[in-house]
Amino acid sequence: MTLRRLALLPAVLALSACEGGFQSPLAPAGEQAASIHSLFCLMMAVCGFMYLLVLAGLGIGLLRARRRRGETGEPSIDPADRGLTRGLVAWAALIVVGLTVLITGSFLVERTIAGARSRDALEVRVTGHQWWWRIQYRDPATGGWIETANELHLPLGQTTRVALGSSDVIHSFWVPNIAQKLDLIPGRINRVDLTPTRAGWFRGQCAEFCGIQHAHMALDVKVDTPEAFARWLAGQRRPAAAPADPVLARGREIVTRGPCAMCHAIRGTQAVGRAGPDLTHFGGRRSVAAGTLAMTRGAVQGWITQPQAAKPGTMMPPVPLSPADADAVSRYLMDLK
Amino acid sequence: MPGNRSSSFLVLCAFALAGCSAESRTAGADLPQTPPTGAQDPRAARYERNAYQVAQGGRYFTWYGCGGCHGSDAAGALNLNGKLWAHGSDLDRVYRFIAEGHGDARYGERIPVEQLWQITAYVRTLPRLKPEKRRRQDVDQVGEAQGDNWTGPVLP
Repeated sequence: MTLRRLALLPAVLALSACEGGFQSPLAPAGEQAASIHSLFCLMMAVCGFMYLLVLAGLGIGLLRARRRRGETGEPSIDPADRGLTRGLVAWAALIVVGLTVLITGSFLVERTIAGARSRDALEVRVTGHQWWWRIQYRDPATGGWIETANELHLPLGQTTRVALGSSDVIHSFWVPNIAQKLDLIPGRINRVDLTPTRAGWFRGQCAEFCGIQHAHMALDVKVDTPEAFARWLAGQRRPAAAPADPVLARGREIVTRGPCAMCHAIRGTQAVGRAGPDLTHFGGRRSVAAGTLAMTRGAVQGWITQPQAAKPGTMMPPVPLSPADADAVSRYLMDLK
Repeated sequence: MPGNRSSSFLVLCAFALAGCSAESRTAGADLPQTPPTGAQDPRAARYERNAYQVAQGGRYFTWYGCGGCHGSDAAGALNLNGKLWAHGSDLDRVYRFIAEGHGDARYGERIPVEQLWQITAYVRTLPRLKPEKRRRQDVDQVGEAQGDNWTGPVLP
């Protein structure tokens, strides 16, 4: 019984991957991912066909050897078998054809995804850090940069050109549902076009081992209608509002005058640190610490007081705060919508 | 001389292995730290003899903007390459000066203790560095994305 269930496991896993999950190259939600997916299907078909042929050839060979066993019991091909020679020539030709189909398919797909799309693509910069993503949008009004972190919003049906850089080691940007992966290399700028075709939340992941928290370097990706995207971007442009509530004001005081401001920026306050993620609209994001924790007040407070427990090795230091202060800080951060 | 060759290979291996532990560290929840108790605080070895801790100190040195005034080309007392430091070079004195000696910057209140230990360890290595090594270190640290320089060290 158990064995039978175990035997079913690969089939179940394979099916669950096809279900159109939020992190799967098998459920494309972008033009580039669709190209890659078509190449995958082509390779699957060609290689599957060849695989079946090889197995069939092997079976036939075994049967023939059995039937034509010589006097001594050794397999023999004497006299020369003309059918076999012809078959081998056809086999070699088939291999050449198969490889040519694959090379042509691969060339066409690469030409599609590397080709320049619309010239007025939205410009976004993504910088890899150990272990989070700095994301900067070109402000259409002023030409400056609007900064956020770990959450990429994209307008549906439009091309966004993402410029990729790294501040420390090599990372790799991969949102499997939308596009191919591309490395982030210190001292270089790589560019990848994203043209999403389906709205919703997706998950991106660093795809190049970059240190002990590589697995916790995720990226939330939201594909929205162009109008909703424009509203979101306008919201991100705003500096943080000063809270009236005394507890929130206390939180703001600690964050902007205490240790947080050494590394984090909150636009509209004295906090202008550059080493860590921008927190101006922190509470509006979906997750904390690059997809490590869900955005809840408990998670935020735990993250601030003991980040090394949630993400061992993170550059974020534990900040010693009294429980009341930690409460005020987490309330204030959650209020930064 | 095969014996000679294999023994030099062994020596090389020994060096390589010795290098492994120079960066050893544990990952997990941090215990709260306290400032050094004196020049001979035994916890110093954990930071000063560990390449990882010293390098982290260098990172925070850059992130917190220390290099703005204390870069390798800083003049006079701000220059940390020299052997003579006006406020002493003992562990506890350097630590205390970083934490309390910078006036309104109040680093003691704004930088967690663990990182002050790391920065102290890093700063105390500076006089021992050759200029070329310090220059390379500067390039590496500047490469940590800051402002317009957003994608790492671009060598001149």
